[in-house]
Amino acid sequence: MGTLRQAAINRLRARATRLHGRDVLPASINRRRIYILPSRFGIMLAVILAAMLIAGLNYNSNLGLAFAFLMGSMALVTMHHCNRNLMRMSVDVTPEVDAFAGREAVFEFVLRNDSNLERRDIEVRCSSAIGLGSVPAMESEPIEVVVPVARRGVTRINQFELRTYYPFGWFYSWTYLQGSLVIYVAPAPAGSRTLPSAGAQGHASHSDARGDEDFSGLRAYEPGIPLKHMAWKVLARGGEAAVRSYSSLAAQPEWLEWSSLPGLDEEARLSQLCLWVLECDVAQRPYGLRIPSKEIAPSGGAAHRFACLRALAAHGQSET
Amino acid sequence: MNTDRVSAQQLLGISVCLVLSLGAQLTSLPLWIPAIVVICCLIRLGLARSGRGMLPRGVLLVLAGLAIALLFLRFRTFNGLTAGTALLAVMAGLKLLETRTKRDIYIITLIIYFLSLSALLEARSFWLLAYLIGVCWLTTATLLRLTSAVPSPDWRTSLRYGGRILVQALPLTLVFWLLFPRFAAPLWQVPNDSRTAESGLSDTMSPGDINQLALSDEVAFRVRFAGEAPPVRERYWRGPVLHYFDGRSWTRGVYSDLAGAPPLLPQGPAYQYTVMMEPHQHRWLFMLDWPSQWSVVRAGLTSDYTLLQLDRLSRPIDVIGTSYTRVRAGEPLTIDERRRDTRIPKNRNPRTLQLAAEMRAAHPDDMEYVQSVLDMFTQQPFYYTLTPPRLAGESVDEFLFGTKRGFCEHYASAFAILMRAAGIPSRVVTGYQGGMLNPYGDYWILRQSDAHAWNEVWIEGRGWVRIDPTSAIAPSRVEQGLSDLASADEALASRGPRGLHWFAGAQLRLDALRELWRERILDFDQDSQRDLLQILRIPEPDGQKLVILLAVAMTLVLFWLTWQVRRELTPQSRDLAARAYVKLCAKLAAAGLPRMQYEGAEAYAQRVAQQRPDLAQSVTTLCRHYSALRYAAPSSAVTLGQFEAAVRMFRPRPRGG
Repeated sequence: MGTLRQAAINRLRARATRLHGRDVLPASINRRRIYILPSRFGIMLAVILAAMLIAGLNYNSNLGLAFAFLMGSMALVTMHHCNRNLMRMSVDVTPEVDAFAGREAVFEFVLRNDSNLERRDIEVRCSSAIGLGSVPAMESEPIEVVVPVARRGVTRINQFELRTYYPFGWFYSWTYLQGSLVIYVAPAPAGSRTLPSAGAQGHASHSDARGDEDFSGLRAYEPGIPLKHMAWKVLARGGEAAVRSYSSLAAQPEWLEWSSLPGLDEEARLSQLCLWVLECDVAQRPYGLRIPSKEIAPSGGAAHRFACLRALAAHGQSET
Repeated sequence: MNTDRVSAQQLLGISVCLVLSLGAQLTSLPLWIPAIVVICCLIRLGLARSGRGMLPRGVLLVLAGLAIALLFLRFRTFNGLTAGTALLAVMAGLKLLETRTKRDIYIITLIIYFLSLSALLEARSFWLLAYLIGVCWLTTATLLRLTSAVPSPDWRTSLRYGGRILVQALPLTLVFWLLFPRFAAPLWQVPNDSRTAESGLSDTMSPGDINQLALSDEVAFRVRFAGEAPPVRERYWRGPVLHYFDGRSWTRGVYSDLAGAPPLLPQGPAYQYTVMMEPHQHRWLFMLDWPSQWSVVRAGLTSDYTLLQLDRLSRPIDVIGTSYTRVRAGEPLTIDERRRDTRIPKNRNPRTLQLAAEMRAAHPDDMEYVQSVLDMFTQQPFYYTLTPPRLAGESVDEFLFGTKRGFCEHYASAFAILMRAAGIPSRVVTGYQGGMLNPYGDYWILRQSDAHAWNEVWIEGRGWVRIDPTSAIAPSRVEQGLSDLASADEALASRGPRGLHWFAGAQLRLDALRELWRERILDFDQDSQRDLLQILRIPEPDGQKLVILLAVAMTLVLFWLTWQVRRELTPQSRDLAARAYVKLCAKLAAAGLPRMQYEGAEAYAQRVAQQRPDLAQSVTTLCRHYSALRYAAPSSAVTLGQFEAAVRMFRPRPRGG
């Protein structure tokens, strides 16, 4: 039964892909692509309704029949309401997210409701992860879907699903959206090696001095930056949390190299490189990444960090 | 979502629904069953409140076993409506005890729906239906609160939403109800719970005992005549005929056959009528004296012209009958019958026998003798009373020579004995007499208080002749019926419907309504559906046509429903804007500046600006916003909400204020 059901669902998903092609986000959901089925509870209700009908007919009880028909009609009306709950919603999502292996990737779907009805209990299902939310009338609402990611790599999700059991859980209607969502799963940062510059390669002066005297200005605090870089005086004066940044390091780019980690297997190397990327980023030092599949010129900042992490995630995978 | 834990509040909601749905069963179930369910609810709620865990599984199993054993001891079966309902109710209570997740509550909602249905299966009351629809509404709202994600909607919203779905379901319900084919006969024989006691007339009569029927206002049956109603002197509704007297009680004896009655030759017009019987758990049906045709298949006349069914009457039925009020016998009395109907208990009521012998000597002709006995009732001080003194021992002697007070049973009993003592075959017929016309429904109501007993005597050459000795003492008794005789305000009914006391009038209207409900709703069946097809001018109505019609009507209603449901999606801001504008106009009118019929928004704003420069700016702005919202393309600068808020804030002061 379970496998049969799964097979049917797979066929349906393939059919949806074939029929609708790739969706351009934000995608609006028209009624032709909304499917509906009774839930397990709905099937139980159907059995009860059939029993009610037969009892009413057999007892020739017009009041019993009236009640049974009323319940049946309510079920039919509910079906329409369930179907309507998804109709003409539009969905948008940032298609690329970053994550570390063993942690979670968070997609933020933005559902927009251009009607006067509140859309309650909308589930967004994305490779076995479910986000749940309601969208008030004429508003947009973000719904987070937290996808756990176990392994490093680039995970693509070609199809996600909007589903609702509203109002009574007797039916569920759903629709498939063909968007290509990508999760760049960087390796889990780990390793015990120190940065190459901290080794005996002649950059000792930098590591000793840590460039503390080369104060170049302030920038906004971000979580993860060591507290010793905090500009406490600024904070004490009532200013925003800020950290000192040091220009001296900009001059000496750090090359994080695949080849500098002999004796480790592939994943361990990637994990070590990932840790270094984060360390350099926190320390505000420009760094470059050189791995067999890619070379990224030294730089700094969030965009650079993402580029490096994605390169690590994509290592060994053919990216198309 | 199915495994979510349930909160105490949700448990309270579903418990209330369950108990309310059982409230409809209070009269049919033994009281301890709802009590068990209530106790289960309280235990579960207490556990949830105190935050303690569930009852251990073993305890639950023992409880379930005990409950089922109790049920079995009480009913001996789980087949049948009452036993099945009881089982279901107890199961719902036990389910509540072990409820942890929402899925458990889903099952309870299903049980509630089915319990509601089972209460309706043998019910006939409009109010019960309304009550149970209310319960179903509440249950559905509870379900909505349960299935909806946090924050679950509040009670008002849930009830409104449930009500909306209920209302949208009504047209479809009507189509189903009218057009869904009904069975001619049940799929399987419904077990008769016989939970209602016998009521109405019985087939024994003990004149000495207290009679409760005469005081009962309960309806025995209703009658609608196809044409003219027979005069009141001929409106005798025949029930069981009693032959055997043991000195104290009259009994019917056992009928071994429904072979039919000896033929009768009609002497007068035939009356066609419909008797709408209330269930009384006896086999006989009351027909106008003397019945010749009837519409019930499993019924036949006994040899003394009582219409007898094969089964007890456990549900209301309509019998279409034809009767002749004046007949004569086609065949002579058989010897067995003559012996049966002249037998009197030996050595009982000696004074009565002596009186009969004396009178018979003076009146050798049968009819003369009958008349002389009736004259005796008229001339001697015999009283009609519903509360006669009790008779002990020789009941007939005591009545005729002692108390001289009684009602129809006393007179019929004494008369029959006087006849038999003179060798004239005679028997007691029980049934109903008279009836009250309901002018609002054009039918006659026969109540238990109309129950009556009279006699039939065999006169050679004429056959059985009906004699009503009670009418000899109180002629008005036959003219007006027992209920009026007994009631203090005698003039009430005799003045006719115009002069009816308002209360009696209201009661009759209510009865007419009830009758309409019964006829149109409760008794709706295959024939009614055929009539419906005929009204729609569908040729050769049959089941197939009905199904086609059902499909067509369903399609139409579903189209309507789809449109209706989707329509709510489209923003109706234009209508809302118009509503806000009407409010604005009302406010200005209250300030002494009503809008003229012909004025558009802009023109109105201009006039207001001229007359009240202090309001000029705000009114002009508001009217411009209204025009934009109403007539411009969407995405105008001002949203509907802002406009509505601005109208709400707008408070023009009256001139000079």
